[in-house]
Amino acid sequence: MDSITNSIKKRDHDPKISGRAKYVDDLRFEGMLYGKILRSTIACGIIKGIHIPDLPSGYTIVDKNDVPGVNIVHVVDDDTPVFSDGTVNYVGEPILMVVGEDQKVIKQILSEIIVDYEEAEPVLDMMKSETVFYHYGYTKGNPEKAFREADKIIDETFHTGYQEHVYMEVQGMIGFYENGKSIVRGSMQCPYYVHTAVKKVMGAQTDQEVEVIQEEMGGAFGGKEDYPSILGSQVAVAAKKVGRPVKCVFEREEDIICTSKRHPATMRYRAAIKDNRIAAIQADVVYNCGAYTTLSPVVLQRGLIGATGVYTFDNIRVEGKGVKTNTTPNGAFRGFGGPQTFFAIEMFMNHLAKEVGSDPLPFKRSYLSKQGDTTATSGKYHFYIPMPEMLEKILKASDYERKYESYKRQTGRYRKGIGLSMVYHGCGFTGSGERDMIKGVVKLHKNVNNTVEILTAGTDMGQGLKTTFSKIVAKRLEIPIDQIIIRNPDTDRVPNSGPTAASRSLMVVGRLLDKAALKLKECWVDEEEQEITERYVHPDFVIPWDLNTFQGDAYPDNAWSVNVVEVEVDTLTAVSKVIGAWGVYDVGTPIDMAIIQGQMQGGFLQGIGYGSIELMDVNEKGIIRNNTLSDYIIPTAMDVPHLETDVVNYPYIEGPFGGKGAGELPAVGGAPAYVSAMESALGKNLYKTPFSQEDAMKVLEEIKK
Amino acid sequence: MVILDNGYIPNTLDEALQIRSENKVIPYAGGTDLMIKAEDVPYLFLNKLAELQQISVDGDMIRIGAGCTYTSLLDSPITPKVLKEAIRLIAAPAIRNLGTVGGNICNASPKADSALIFYVSDSKLRLRSVKGERILPIEDFYVGRGKTVLQPDELLIEILMPKKYLDNYYYQKVGARQALAISRVAFVGLFGMEDGKITCCSTAYGSVSDTILRFRNLEAMLLGKTIAEAKELKGSFLAEYDKAIVPIRGRVSADYRKRVCMNLLEDYLTQNGI
Amino acid sequence: MSNGISFILNGEKVVSKGKSGDRLLDILRDEFNLTGTKCGCKEGECGACSVLIDGKLANSCMVALGSIAGSEVVTIEGYSKTKRFQALSDAYAEFSAVQCGFCIPGMVLASEALLSKNPHPSESEIREGISGNLCRCTGYNAIVHAIQTASEKGAGLW
Repeated sequence: MDSITNSIKKRDHDPKISGRAKYVDDLRFEGMLYGKILRSTIACGIIKGIHIPDLPSGYTIVDKNDVPGVNIVHVVDDDTPVFSDGTVNYVGEPILMVVGEDQKVIKQILSEIIVDYEEAEPVLDMMKSETVFYHYGYTKGNPEKAFREADKIIDETFHTGYQEHVYMEVQGMIGFYENGKSIVRGSMQCPYYVHTAVKKVMGAQTDQEVEVIQEEMGGAFGGKEDYPSILGSQVAVAAKKVGRPVKCVFEREEDIICTSKRHPATMRYRAAIKDNRIAAIQADVVYNCGAYTTLSPVVLQRGLIGATGVYTFDNIRVEGKGVKTNTTPNGAFRGFGGPQTFFAIEMFMNHLAKEVGSDPLPFKRSYLSKQGDTTATSGKYHFYIPMPEMLEKILKASDYERKYESYKRQTGRYRKGIGLSMVYHGCGFTGSGERDMIKGVVKLHKNVNNTVEILTAGTDMGQGLKTTFSKIVAKRLEIPIDQIIIRNPDTDRVPNSGPTAASRSLMVVGRLLDKAALKLKECWVDEEEQEITERYVHPDFVIPWDLNTFQGDAYPDNAWSVNVVEVEVDTLTAVSKVIGAWGVYDVGTPIDMAIIQGQMQGGFLQGIGYGSIELMDVNEKGIIRNNTLSDYIIPTAMDVPHLETDVVNYPYIEGPFGGKGAGELPAVGGAPAYVSAMESALGKNLYKTPFSQEDAMKVLEEIKK
Repeated sequence: MVILDNGYIPNTLDEALQIRSENKVIPYAGGTDLMIKAEDVPYLFLNKLAELQQISVDGDMIRIGAGCTYTSLLDSPITPKVLKEAIRLIAAPAIRNLGTVGGNICNASPKADSALIFYVSDSKLRLRSVKGERILPIEDFYVGRGKTVLQPDELLIEILMPKKYLDNYYYQKVGARQALAISRVAFVGLFGMEDGKITCCSTAYGSVSDTILRFRNLEAMLLGKTIAEAKELKGSFLAEYDKAIVPIRGRVSADYRKRVCMNLLEDYLTQNGI
Repeated sequence: MSNGISFILNGEKVVSKGKSGDRLLDILRDEFNLTGTKCGCKEGECGACSVLIDGKLANSCMVALGSIAGSEVVTIEGYSKTKRFQALSDAYAEFSAVQCGFCIPGMVLASEALLSKNPHPSESEIREGISGNLCRCTGYNAIVHAIQTASEKGAGLW
């Protein structure tokens, strides 16, 4: 193992474990007031009037009329209001904020405000929506011909549900307005996203009029990628109006109801079968964006790029739509559109295998992509794909093949099942985003005492960025890690290295730091203040991505994984236990083995949750009923006692010390592996995730008949 | 006693009953149900009253103080295994350290895990007030969803659990996950025989309806019968239960609940030779 | 009428001005500025607010102030001064078990509660001991290994 892979003590271990680390709700400022948001109780309608009770002195209402700039939160496209513009489009939409000293009084005021709505019929079913926010499509080869000439066509539809982040720390922000400057502090992945949004909302002319500071973050997983721009804008507006700091920290129920989630999806897959081989695949995908666009274009793009999974097919047609419904706008969640289509293609391939009389694994193997293959979007797999090595490891560890065979014939109350999934995650921002939109910049600032400060906009949400960035710079400079300074980013002090998202931090930003450190090493002068700036350069092997034609290399490289899940189903109660879970991951050279293992294990468990117990739905009024942690169920320490993860080490040439994107990959393969295991246990094809106890009971009842 | 701004801490059970008779208070045993809402109401803090936290064997009864926490019952060698099995699946250690069987019973939820065991075992409840005491079967304590016959001046003191038939039990709780799982369906069955005849075939069903369900009239079909006779009646026995168990929809569908109950009931019979 | 509710907080006698129905979690964080105890859900479902009350693990969001009059309450701030904490901290560091850190103060106290009752737990006993502490980051493995290691290396401490 390269020595950078050797694990070190995490740089933020001590403050966090001792309780000294301060998260946004732990912070108090002089004169600080609290803000709580009044939210729509209906899914679709117009506000005819708002009746505010007499307010006690010191309590203020903040609404759209108080927005100094534009009442729009910039995400990608600009349609999300800061406060309702007079319409409401989902249950939970922010209408106004009540600000004051005592949170109990604020709650009382909120309960007394009456909103007169003129209700309209909400659109809740994505398949019935008539508003298409985004529509993309692409073709490879000649799928039409293949379908015409097919021996048979297999046509199946898959459904994936919501997933809620359940970061242990809910969303929270504090806004300040001092000397004409808006300052926002809080839990966020992307300080510069918030900065851009707040600038527009506050009508600021220069960057210096807005300062955004990331505070210690208690988890994010994508849920704090775009949402903080909304809450940040709201507290910024409130702080200016009342002239005092305003803190708004959500209640857990509120957070579950109103913040972004994983897009539910409906995906229709068709295969043209000729001579028992797949001649073409067609995928028609619908993603439920919710009421506003937010990050949906990019989520949908990623889902479509990966729609045919880890396989190479000659003839492909993929079409996808992101549609509006009157529900909470959906956004980023680890995997970012990938888990939906990877679920569909993995289950589809299971079923196609059976159609032609084969077991899933040998069938899937025969289509596995290899280095040099043309991708679905007519790009190229430039690098070696270590799938054979990963399969060998996982098959040995899990004993998948023997078990799969033996589970075909079972009697008795308990049925076991085993499932395998193969997925990839494109590393970095989709398409030419790195080159054209982000244009990441990092700095290294060397102090006279020879300490070196890392200046990037990268945020540590638990994934260990403070440690891994420090390791890269320290190792390249060949200085002890204690000489490296890294702080939570403040836009006044750090350049925009881009969002902490898209599994780009190590691979892209880490690489920039590596290059900067190399330069600093070459020109290092003891006891002199120095600064190195490094800017992003797009790798030249990348085939340019064209969003209009949806062709080219969407990502410079992918990270690959294989996942196996084994279950035991109680046929009397339909309860399934996960009795084994194995994952093998290709993430380039691990920058810190323990940190990578932590990412893999955490992500894998989230994926298993997505496949099994994390149910969320919206009722006929557009209300999310499972809005508490007793109702939205995530795994406890007892739920998957046997979870093993491993890596293969194929260094990525463009990554720092060979490192590649690692954060999201582990969350992609868990659900199809789990549901495949349920297929094996129940002996039936399955089409949805999460696949719940109730779903299993229905299948068991069918089998009995 | 200690009188707080909006609460009372009695030093003895008698003090508690006195306060209860003179003031409108909410008895606070473990707090794990009450504090979900955390309303500003006068609490009568019972959590430190040792008098309510005893467990003992008294002839053919086990006497369990209403203030016994789940953890203390798990730690006690006196606690019957079937009760331990149900308690072990309640929530998680921190909740079990505070939650009490008395609170579980008085909260009157059909999902109550320990109450289900008391129900099936013909347990009785001892209620006391400054005016006196009464003992009643647990099923007479409930009068509908969330409603009990506990009077405003009464406290639940202890549960009297008959020892007989507790050893041969069948218990299954269905939750959404392995811990911190609110019950979605729960089944418990006791079985006993004497001189070749069935003397106990009690079953109770939790989380399927507004209250815990038990059908003594249907149990009567098998009482006094031999195994062979019971086998003959199995079909109609199950059919009767199929009619009697009418689940309501909750976080899971009524159909699902029904299927689980019937599957487990059938398995319970099979496991006992029927 | 009493002049406040007194209890022992991290070894010192204190008197709270809070009301008897106030959540202990809020009293610790707001009145005593002990922000190491976190709020994750306010319904006893996540364990981020775990403290020790008379040596037992409890979710402080579910505890009314009046119920702990005279009790001993230990938060992470108090516990982090002990040798046992050091053993756990070293073990958690060994496995990089602290990711976002939000569940960790509660998780550490749950580790203490487990080990003080059962100094050499099996893996399944460890998992049960922390079953009420949700972690969304780690997948739990690193935490379980950390507790195992602390119990092995910290021989004599528990």
